[in-house]
Amino acid sequence: MTLVAGVDIGSTTAKCALIEDGKVVGRSLNPVGVELVKDAERALALALSDSGRERRDVRAVTGTGYGRFKVTFGQFTVTEIGCHAKGAHFLFPATRVVLDIGGQDTKAIKVDANGVVIDFAMNDKCAAGTGRFLDVCAGALGYDVSEIGPLSLGARRPVKVTNTCTVFAESEVSSYVARGKDPKDILAGLYGSIVSRSLSLLQRVGVEPEVTFTGGVSRNEGMVRTLRARLGLPVNVSPLSQFVGAIGAALYGLERLEAVPA
Amino acid sequence: MTHPGEEVEDGPTSAREQQRRLVEEYYADLADAGGPRKPVAYMLVGGNLTEIVRSFGYEVVFPEIVALNCAIKHESLPNILHAEAQGYGLDVCGYVKNDLGLQELGGKTPFGRIPPPDLLVCSFSGCYVYIKWWEALAEKYGCPLFVLDVPYMRDERPRSEEIEYVVAQLNEFIALLERTTGRSFDRGELRRMLAHSRKAEEGWVRYLSAGRRRPSPIEAYFEAVFYMFPINVLRGTAAAADFYDTVDAEVTARVRAGEYPVPEEKVRLVVEGVPPYPSYRTFWDFFRRWGAVSVAATYPKVGGLFDQGFLHDPDRPLESIAEYSMAAYVNQSWGLRRRLIASYAKEFEADAVVIHGIKSCRSFTAGQGDLRDWLIHEQGIPTLYLESDHEDPRYFAPAQIKNRMDAFFESLDRRRSTVSLPMVGA
Repeated sequence: MTLVAGVDIGSTTAKCALIEDGKVVGRSLNPVGVELVKDAERALALALSDSGRERRDVRAVTGTGYGRFKVTFGQFTVTEIGCHAKGAHFLFPATRVVLDIGGQDTKAIKVDANGVVIDFAMNDKCAAGTGRFLDVCAGALGYDVSEIGPLSLGARRPVKVTNTCTVFAESEVSSYVARGKDPKDILAGLYGSIVSRSLSLLQRVGVEPEVTFTGGVSRNEGMVRTLRARLGLPVNVSPLSQFVGAIGAALYGLERLEAVPA
Repeated sequence: MTHPGEEVEDGPTSAREQQRRLVEEYYADLADAGGPRKPVAYMLVGGNLTEIVRSFGYEVVFPEIVALNCAIKHESLPNILHAEAQGYGLDVCGYVKNDLGLQELGGKTPFGRIPPPDLLVCSFSGCYVYIKWWEALAEKYGCPLFVLDVPYMRDERPRSEEIEYVVAQLNEFIALLERTTGRSFDRGELRRMLAHSRKAEEGWVRYLSAGRRRPSPIEAYFEAVFYMFPINVLRGTAAAADFYDTVDAEVTARVRAGEYPVPEEKVRLVVEGVPPYPSYRTFWDFFRRWGAVSVAATYPKVGGLFDQGFLHDPDRPLESIAEYSMAAYVNQSWGLRRRLIASYAKEFEADAVVIHGIKSCRSFTAGQGDLRDWLIHEQGIPTLYLESDHEDPRYFAPAQIKNRMDAFFESLDRRRSTVSLPMVGA
């Protein structure tokens, strides 16, 4: 039995997944601050607590995400692009395309039958279409981002929201609120805006089934529905979708352990 | 053992020492130039007419090269900001803004003062912004402006009527030079200069061809940028011709000693696009940490596609200058450019292509997204597209660029079925 950990330090949250015998046995999710090393340590400690395992049981820790080099107590680092590909393949082995929408970036990743990255495309120097975009616009509507998932489901006439700038989109949302638009229609417009931007990234790498949706924004039911409708394809979403990067990192560490004789 | 990739920082080789000396001497000469004793012509690198201009006694300034020299020394931003304060927008080319800001601030550069122009030669008319740039300089300094209209290259070789069209303009240009200098055109002097150019061009091609070797004894993008100075700025002089003898000897010595740009060559690349000069060493390090070496690149061809046979010929002076001008890399249609890149990937046995697009330049960059898709989907060549700028440091986002590069090299590594994860702190 080999216990391995993946620690994903993203722009807004730290995630940790523990894997043993091909199963996720522990996980944690906590916000990141300015002390990323401590955030990473905390993520691992919380996941260990969740699993009932001890630190000494962990054979390898792999860091991923923008803060991967702050997982200083780990042995390996891998980019989140490779980790989301591997994690998605682990959860849905027929995955060929991964859409990961995190706090500040969006990635479309094409993978082969083994979960190895073939191609990827990312948003560039702009948070439009990311989790942060949703966060800001939810705030303009008077909601917390965690509340808005199901709210758009009753939308009847979605509004049109720019997909080029988070700041302009926030102004547009405020303007729609002032004009008395139904928040459901505004939210549906926001989801449409994010999905439009994501589709252009997906088209860059080429869309083919199966598509797996990962990252914090994949927890939003309205986003998932909009994406499925616009793609015209089923979209895999795991209950562990926020942990896919951390899962992939843990699996990379396991692979590395197996490749190097003890 | 030293490695060519490290020499920039850790101890120059003889070729680098010689290149540095040539740069210093060039800028020192410029400081004394200007006016009737040694008039100054400003010219663009692409398709330039340096031999003709030098045969009339002009010293030549290439504002694009001055701009990149400012950028690599981290001194471009004040010039750019000054130009923006004058009203030049965010979307205007960084070369243009560096130069116009620099001119307004008195011509001071990290290498010395640049004299104002006595003559403006817009030798690359494929970029409309460049024509406007030269017009702005002509208005500021009140000096003659000559615009060479170069037909866009859609075929592998220029057509005869296109060559005639450019040669007719070269004769007009020579007449202008005779009027402005009071000197007669000396065809013999032009031929002597073209002979120097030819020797330099052949040496440059030999250097770039060395990337075919495995492992490559040269870095055809990052290192070549340093060795481009003589071929681009000093072409037509004996110093430029002789410089490539030194480079030749150095490459031969590297092969003999087994000294390579990266100690262990893991990835062979073709690189397309202009470098991010303000973050040059940072960008280079992102490649080196993965054992990636550029074995061929398009940027070293901006001064001429010599490796494709567009060499100056003393026996056909004006015709060969016309052909050379038309064959400037950015004057090539996208069909020609992408076929050239694919051929480099094949001939130099590259594993992948890296494209660096720059916000400033549509001539160079527009079409690179399609190029990426074509290389991946039609040619089966793994390709990475990155974007920043060649002059403006505000557009280089190191974390994002590094993340993309790390992911790309990881995936190349994985596709070779090896497990080689960087350790923490690497």
